[in-house]
Amino acid sequence: MADEVFSGCGPWKVDVVSPENKIRLELLRSAPLNKWIALSEDESSIVAVGETYGEVSERSDLAGEADPVILKTPQEWAPLSV
Amino acid sequence: MKIPYSVFPDGFGSHVYSVRLSVSVALPSPGAPRTKRFEAVIDSGATRCMFHSDIGRFLGLDITSGEKEITQGIGGLSDTYLHDIALYIPGGPVTIKAAFKDSLPIAALLGMNGFFEHFVVTFNQNALMCEIERVFRA
Repeated sequence: MADEVFSGCGPWKVDVVSPENKIRLELLRSAPLNKWIALSEDESSIVAVGETYGEVSERSDLAGEADPVILKTPQEWAPLSV
Repeated sequence: MKIPYSVFPDGFGSHVYSVRLSVSVALPSPGAPRTKRFEAVIDSGATRCMFHSDIGRFLGLDITSGEKEITQGIGGLSDTYLHDIALYIPGGPVTIKAAFKDSLPIAALLGMNGFFEHFVVTFNQNALMCEIERVFRA
């Protein structure tokens, strides 16, 4: 139920998360907040965590990940309105 | 290029979607080294592209030496600092004037100036797919 979203006034639409997105969602839920994180090239695992972009970039090199995808996690997960 | 919507936790045990593109940046000088790829939100509500200051500092920028620009967001006014950078996007890099901000909760926003001006962007919320088509102008 947690990963199904009901939206609209009806008939209700059930949004089932794709397998790829499910992996991503679990990874992000497990990630430390307010940090920089590096995902593996296939985005299946977190290969490095750092306080700054530079730190996570260096740590992903040390982890042997040639082409990571870097993200910044927010202070808490919430809908985005910057 | 088709970009599937990315999923994120919503803080209530469920999830939300946004459209994120992996980009890299560099100083706007020939041969300048690029950052690793990082995720940036494609945000039609942003006037210009905005990056977390950490990324600028990694490039060697003195963030507060840039021209100060006060931006108005949902949360009120905030200070940003402008610097020229090379933004690596599908179809090739562009030199843009980008804003840098310490308190950005994410790595970057791709806004109207610097990103949307180079693409036709189509959001399809029902298919959870965004399509971007590069526009090259003479």
